[in-house]
Amino acid sequence: MNGDDGIQRIRLTGELEISRKREIRDAFGIVPGAKAALVDLAEVTYADSTALTELLRFCVTAQRDGIPIAVVIRTQQFARLVQYAGLANAFRIFEEPGEALAYLNECVDA
Amino acid sequence: MARRVYLPLALTLCFSAVVIAALWIGGVSVRSGVVSAFDDSANVRTARIRVGDALREQLDEETGVRGYAAVREKILLEPYDEARLTLPLSLQRIGVSLRQLQMTDASQALADAAATSRRWLAVIAVPLISSRTPQRDVQLRGKRLVDRFRSDMNAVEELLAARADRAAQRAQESVLWISLFAACAVLAIILAAAVFAVVQFRLADRLERERARSEEERRAAAEVRAAYETERRIAETLQAGFAQNVLPRLARVRFSATYVPAAEETNIGGDWYDALELSRERVLLAMGDVTGHGIEAAVAMNQTRHLLVACALLDSSPTHVLARVNAELCRSGAPLITALAGVVDVRNFRFAYAAAGHPPPVLWEPGRPARLLDVGSLPLGIVPEAQYQTHVVESVPGALIVLYTDGAVEHSRNVVEGESLLLAAVEAAGQAPSGEAGMIYERIFAGRRIADDVAILTIRFAHENSRSQERAA
Repeated sequence: MNGDDGIQRIRLTGELEISRKREIRDAFGIVPGAKAALVDLAEVTYADSTALTELLRFCVTAQRDGIPIAVVIRTQQFARLVQYAGLANAFRIFEEPGEALAYLNECVDA
Repeated sequence: MARRVYLPLALTLCFSAVVIAALWIGGVSVRSGVVSAFDDSANVRTARIRVGDALREQLDEETGVRGYAAVREKILLEPYDEARLTLPLSLQRIGVSLRQLQMTDASQALADAAATSRRWLAVIAVPLISSRTPQRDVQLRGKRLVDRFRSDMNAVEELLAARADRAAQRAQESVLWISLFAACAVLAIILAAAVFAVVQFRLADRLERERARSEEERRAAAEVRAAYETERRIAETLQAGFAQNVLPRLARVRFSATYVPAAEETNIGGDWYDALELSRERVLLAMGDVTGHGIEAAVAMNQTRHLLVACALLDSSPTHVLARVNAELCRSGAPLITALAGVVDVRNFRFAYAAAGHPPPVLWEPGRPARLLDVGSLPLGIVPEAQYQTHVVESVPGALIVLYTDGAVEHSRNVVEGESLLLAAVEAAGQAPSGEAGMIYERIFAGRRIADDVAILTIRFAHENSRSQERAA
């Protein structure tokens, strides 16, 4: 948990590939007590299947637990990979962290 | 390695050289001191003997003159005559010795004694010998001169005695220095030998440890290599199963395919494609990519292939096929798999497909630019209840549809750039009469090494003129 608002914040940058598997797996773990999760991938330019698998598992777990997720994606190439993986409808995607946070706050308040 | 071996040896040799040089310089120095001390002793001894000779000769002169003056017998002058000749020679020799010994004080006393001797001869001895009467005054003066001579000579003797003591002390010290030097030399030799032995022992020990470590690393590398070779053989054998695929040959559609494994053997993954003739008009196409590499990916690939074909034989609807395969893979705990299943219907140039996390197919139609078709749903093996949608492409004669795995567009890590290259390659291949899959691959990679497997499968619908010819036939 990175704030008092109960929203877990995850931030990864660069190229997410198998050599960073441990880092990615550690990052995509739901913190107990989290009411929502903000996944900031605005500066991610590439993700291999290992990273996409972790992201997908994270989303599945969060949805199962009723935790809303907002993902920030800004680079076109990573957005395309997310589309490939069929994840575009698996969570809400935003281009700015502020917008994503506002959405999650609404979810938490509701 | 050579540095480790030769450095201690060089240091030992340097140490030995320094020790030998020090021993040589010390030896020369000690030898010089000893020789000097013994030379001094010999010179002093000689000088003292000559001083004794001189005193005896002077006594001969005096007693000879006094005896002759008393009894006037010529025979009594013989000692005087002999000593008168030898005494100056003795005094001269003593002077030489004193100069060699650099005894200035003694030389001065000797000069005084020589002068007194000459004066005694001139003013005492000659008058007493030539006079016929006793000359008491002369004799008294002669006695005083003789006393002065003896006093000077005694002074010389005392100085020589002191010098002799010092020379003896120096000789004694030299002997001590020789003993000390010899002890140091022995210790240095023992130390050098000990240092050399220790260095040799440590060197041998280190070489032995390095040899053992090298042997251990070689053995471990061989084991890893053997394990890797085994895995590679198994993976290659499993992959060979689909590499030998024979594509269906139908009148109104032509298929081409290529599969290129990763340049790095360890990256050989789980890409595959299949084409199954369902009837004379319908063909099931499947393509997929298993996450990961090696034997695990190859096994999962074969499992998925067989599942997919089995499900397609029950119900060839792409949606149904992927949903059934996904449920089975989720149950068996398979890794994440992307796949595309499609059915080609040559009667109406239709291609119906469903994708599970797989890159979208590319469609090229004569006179139009190539374009990416719709993407699909979630990959297989993660969400059991995942839904898959069938997309239907109503195409035209001469159209080219291209299926591929992610290696074809992710080679530069920029998928947008990869898609542009792919579309350009498909447009170029659209004009080709055959071998489209290989042409697309060559156009994209142009001899570059690839980091991931690449599979490409193309569907080419026959042109209208071909159909007319077929109908005529």
